[in-house]
Amino acid sequence: MSAPATTPALEVRGLTKHFGGVYAVDGCSFEAPLGQVTGLIGPNGAGKSTAIDLISGFKLPDSGTVIFKGVALEGLPPHRISRLGLIRTFQSPREWAGLTVLENVVMARWDSGREGFLRGVVGLGRADREKSANELTRAREILDEFGLATLRNERAGNLSGGQKRLVEFARIRMAQPKLVILDEPMGGVNPVLGERMALAIEGFIASGTSVIVVEHNLPFIQRVTQHVIVMAQGAVIAEGPFESLRSNQDVVDAYLGEMVRQ
Amino acid sequence: MTAYLVSILTEGAIFGIMALGLNVIWGWSGDFDLAYYGYIAVGAYMTLVLTVGPAVAPAQYILGLQLPYPLAVAIAVISAMAVALIVGLIALRHLRGIYFSIVTLGAVYVMYVFAGQYVPLFDGYNGLSGLFDPMGDWFSLDYLSYQYFFMGLSLAMFVVVYLLMWRISGSRFGMALRTLREDERAAAAFGRDIYRLKLKGYVLGAGVGGFAGALFAAYLSAFNPSAWSPVEVIVLYAAVLVGGRGNIVGVALGVLIMGMLVQESTRFLPSVPGLGQLNTLHPQVLLALRGAIIGLVLILFLRFRPQGLLPERRYVDRQPALDATPGNA
Repeated sequence: MSAPATTPALEVRGLTKHFGGVYAVDGCSFEAPLGQVTGLIGPNGAGKSTAIDLISGFKLPDSGTVIFKGVALEGLPPHRISRLGLIRTFQSPREWAGLTVLENVVMARWDSGREGFLRGVVGLGRADREKSANELTRAREILDEFGLATLRNERAGNLSGGQKRLVEFARIRMAQPKLVILDEPMGGVNPVLGERMALAIEGFIASGTSVIVVEHNLPFIQRVTQHVIVMAQGAVIAEGPFESLRSNQDVVDAYLGEMVRQ
Repeated sequence: MTAYLVSILTEGAIFGIMALGLNVIWGWSGDFDLAYYGYIAVGAYMTLVLTVGPAVAPAQYILGLQLPYPLAVAIAVISAMAVALIVGLIALRHLRGIYFSIVTLGAVYVMYVFAGQYVPLFDGYNGLSGLFDPMGDWFSLDYLSYQYFFMGLSLAMFVVVYLLMWRISGSRFGMALRTLREDERAAAAFGRDIYRLKLKGYVLGAGVGGFAGALFAAYLSAFNPSAWSPVEVIVLYAAVLVGGRGNIVGVALGVLIMGMLVQESTRFLPSVPGLGQLNTLHPQVLLALRGAIIGLVLILFLRFRPQGLLPERRYVDRQPALDATPGNA
């Protein structure tokens, strides 16, 4: 196991959530190293998505704790967690369909000072106007980087599935969180886009955003992660670099069997 | 004819303010609020109890003050916002879509029945009356010139509300409301406090509705339950839908079209052979037909042009792209 040397980006301890008699997440504990890409894999029903919902505040855990930047996240609402610098994506792209691609990226950055009702009526001061102008420029640069510049005035709802994923990545780039949790970013995406997504994830790391990526596409996990956590039946059953997991019998039994036999 | 034009313009301006308020709640935040007419009614009732003076038996109602009209309007608007805050705190917490609509429908019927049955509040089904030509004596206007004055006032207020909405529409606050409409989970993931933001939009919209109600009370010089069946809100929805949900120019256009349709249908319908006769036998026929026409327009638009005549416009970035080659990452 490669123990992270620095403070982890995220620390999860004994996270538990049950729905009726079903334990979706059952004593899940792991650490995601800072400045790295951590993969979170496991068979369907392993509790990965529920774990993400618990970490990001979209569901309340029954017990356990989540530490991010020294703050215990459990019990905080999603927007508070987001404002602390932990942003998550969803299994299906959740673009703001009626807004343009550029607006999607600009609005990815939350700002209490400029978003108030009174600011809307009275207008912004010079410093804030400058800030908005700079952000617009930044949004254009990001779209350019993702090859979406020509689509920036298009309504996001009109894009293809793969393009919507790229918009999502562009939004994260704009928001610049400390940690991003990507929930199946390759779901429904043309494999050709895979390399671009991988590069984008490297870009996150370079800009100071640690990454946790949940994914069923194992070649993609192998390509982008330094550290992998394997979940089954609500708990972590193994972790380490992807290569080391191939030889782990528990992992093979739970999940990787098919791939190894191929 | 002039009198007719004056009344059309006055009503149109007030109706327009109502629709602009609804556009905040439905057009921007995306909530199909059926309690909206209740806030208009609160605005109208409160204006009346604050201006018409003490109740004379057997009439009974609260307050019975004789405040200057503008002050009464301000308090009426705040009252409408307060009621909306209470309804919003309950309905916007977890409920969305049809569930939200059902709860707001319940809320408006509670208001309606309460205003009708609880006589000491607003004199029950008799309602309130006696607000004649507010601010008229400030300028010593006679009856006719007052009609012009009030038309001018209503139109000016429409322009003020319109400009306010125009400011908000393009602001980050307006954009944040739209992110809720488009996908509120994503909005939360990117830092928006959904509940608080939705409440702000809801109370703002209700305040605009209450303001329209305050003008409406002065225009009618009275208000009672028969003046505000909660289903009236459907005409407002039709106006916003036909014009273009989310687009304030569209909303103004929708008001013009639906206003004309509502006004004129009762005029041209009797000229349809046989209908005039039928209406003298059954006096409700024309009114029912008018409702049917509005319903038909709604259905046709929902089917063939759900975005309305003037769809919501989006910001178009005209800066030349830095590098227009797709795939150059």
